[in-house]
Amino acid sequence: MVKVLVYPANSLILADLVERFGHEPLSVQQEIREKISAPGLDSPPLNITPDDPKIGLRYAAVEVPSGVRGRMALIGPLIEEAEAAVVVHDPDPTFGCMGCARTNELVNFLIRARKIPLLELKYPSTEDDARDFVVRVAEFLKSLENGK
Amino acid sequence: MKSDLDGVVTKLIILSSKRIMPGELLSKIYSLKKDLIVKETCFGAEVSGKKDDVEDALREARSLDPYGVFVKERGFLPGDPRRCRATRAGARPGFHQIELEVERLPLIAKALSEYERGALLRREEGEELNLSAGRFKEIIEDTLKDMSV
Amino acid sequence: MSEIVRIAQLSCGSEYSGIQQEIDEAARSVGAEMVFPDVDAGDIQRIEDEFGLRVASPDLKLMMARGKAVVDGISDIDAVFIGTCFRCAEAALVRSELRRYIYETTGLPVISYSFTERTTATTLLTRMEALTTMALRKNLLVRERQRGLTAGIDSGSTTTKCVVMRDNEIIGTGWVPTTKVLQSAEKAFEEALEAAGVREGELEAIGTTGYGRFLAGERFKADLVQEEVTVNSKGAVFLADTQKGDATVIDIGGMDNKAISVHNGIPGMFTLGGICAGASGRFLELTARRLGVEITELGALSVKGDARKIAMNSYCIVFGIQSLVNSLSAGAKPEDVAAAACHSVSEQVFEQQLQEVEVKEPVLMVGGSSLIEGLPKAMEELLHVEVHVPPNSQFIGAVGAALLSSGFIEEE
Repeated sequence: MVKVLVYPANSLILADLVERFGHEPLSVQQEIREKISAPGLDSPPLNITPDDPKIGLRYAAVEVPSGVRGRMALIGPLIEEAEAAVVVHDPDPTFGCMGCARTNELVNFLIRARKIPLLELKYPSTEDDARDFVVRVAEFLKSLENGK
Repeated sequence: MKSDLDGVVTKLIILSSKRIMPGELLSKIYSLKKDLIVKETCFGAEVSGKKDDVEDALREARSLDPYGVFVKERGFLPGDPRRCRATRAGARPGFHQIELEVERLPLIAKALSEYERGALLRREEGEELNLSAGRFKEIIEDTLKDMSV
Repeated sequence: MSEIVRIAQLSCGSEYSGIQQEIDEAARSVGAEMVFPDVDAGDIQRIEDEFGLRVASPDLKLMMARGKAVVDGISDIDAVFIGTCFRCAEAALVRSELRRYIYETTGLPVISYSFTERTTATTLLTRMEALTTMALRKNLLVRERQRGLTAGIDSGSTTTKCVVMRDNEIIGTGWVPTTKVLQSAEKAFEEALEAAGVREGELEAIGTTGYGRFLAGERFKADLVQEEVTVNSKGAVFLADTQKGDATVIDIGGMDNKAISVHNGIPGMFTLGGICAGASGRFLELTARRLGVEITELGALSVKGDARKIAMNSYCIVFGIQSLVNSLSAGAKPEDVAAAACHSVSEQVFEQQLQEVEVKEPVLMVGGSSLIEGLPKAMEELLHVEVHVPPNSQFIGAVGAALLSSGFIEEE
């Protein structure tokens, strides 16, 4: 089983496919769960505190908006943990932790910079595209198994 | 960081199925008699509990329609007031994302079922996938129907 | 306030900046709650075409869709808070256009704010208080004439002002530098009573405003304890006799600045703040001290000078003063330095705050700093419109408080 980061990191379709083909999808929701159930923290709704944008300085400089740095504090560790990644390039609008275009640009860059096995593709909008999408994702995920 | 919620996971089950309704899905999960919080949602159900129990529930759910049941992680417990629509008037951001992704699920479901049957081959760069004879026939018939109107 | 004010939150990045809690807390402390107007995926997909602004960030699309839901009246809303991350250009465009659109189409009170992870509930409190007042106390704010015998105390960070008014006329004033909040308020109050020739017991109502309003309000058992945004805008249109139609109020204070769009005497859109003391009255005080003149003489000096002769390019009070010192040591004339200081302060208010409100004429400059003639002059040059300084403009908050508090006489 390989830890696979998906982009968008909160995508239902991608997370489902990764799990379906026997790998562990790294999801932002897991990070959120850790945060919201952390004792002693009370900064609803997400328990992201003003310290998180400071942690985000590891990924982006202080002149980068706080919302970008706060999001990076959540997503950055996932990128570091990832052993492989599936990236969709023209996703539907993604909200919340993936709702900021600047953050998403940085996330995409950092995934590439990791030089881990990476599958890049487009979201399907026709039946043929969907078939190709599923085949590619499935084959990529299976190849990870073999590679191990 | 440990807390009471440690080891508890919450999953969203999203249905894109003609074979099962959310009610049946819930009955199936209840019939497992596991210590789970289960809540029906607009798109299927939320299941929360110990990791192993949740995984059992998901396995059962998928068995109802292997290509029509999709699963996603959720950070919050069902009904958590910090994220609940009831206390915030509007939907949480993730809801809109599911609304949009759900539109694509029938395509993915169909492709998955074909893939599992071994009916799909990888498309080479720039190459179009061949239409199946059946699908081509449907297109011809639809087009002729449109032309005759 | 018994009724809960529902403030629509249109924002991007507040949760991830770690300050959603601060926004909620500031709202709660003034009897309001933040709500997210409900939309669906279709609304979000259509919004760029409907609103006409294309953006890359989906959360900004969501923000615009929620804004349209406010305009369409889908959600039951009393006021609107628009907030995005400081330094995000894309969000700044959306924030500004959405603010204008909502204000012009609904007339709901709107505030826009750019936050960082350092934004706290305390920072937001006065803004939220003003927003809820505009939403809830419209009846109070429509008052155009002062009635009976009332006093207003404006406990500011630099000076404390007091006026006594009788039947729409100012009959006594007091003005003292702020040292200790209560002591200064008592002194200004006594001065005003003495000048008016009345005793405290004769007053029918008292209003307090300014940053020391709570303390002073308690001491004088004030009928009205109100933040300075609504009070000053009322005072401004009252003194300038522009209670009907549009007006823009600019108040450069000792610590922070206010820019307020007013319509028919009721404030609707405002900004409060300033990045650095370099954009405040404090900077002008330091300049006067450095030039060896009284702050009251700085204005006359500044209008004789030419700001363009001095190299000043800093938002910071420390570097700003350094520029002035360098200029003086290089032989610059004091009047040019005074003019440059006025220009610098006006320019920062123009660049940082006037972009967040609708500047509609007449433009009124109020507060003690408006008496430094170089300041309204510099603002005129920047805005290319005439800037009015109403009589008694230094007493603006006290007059507004005396005027509004007279609304409580009838209620008794």
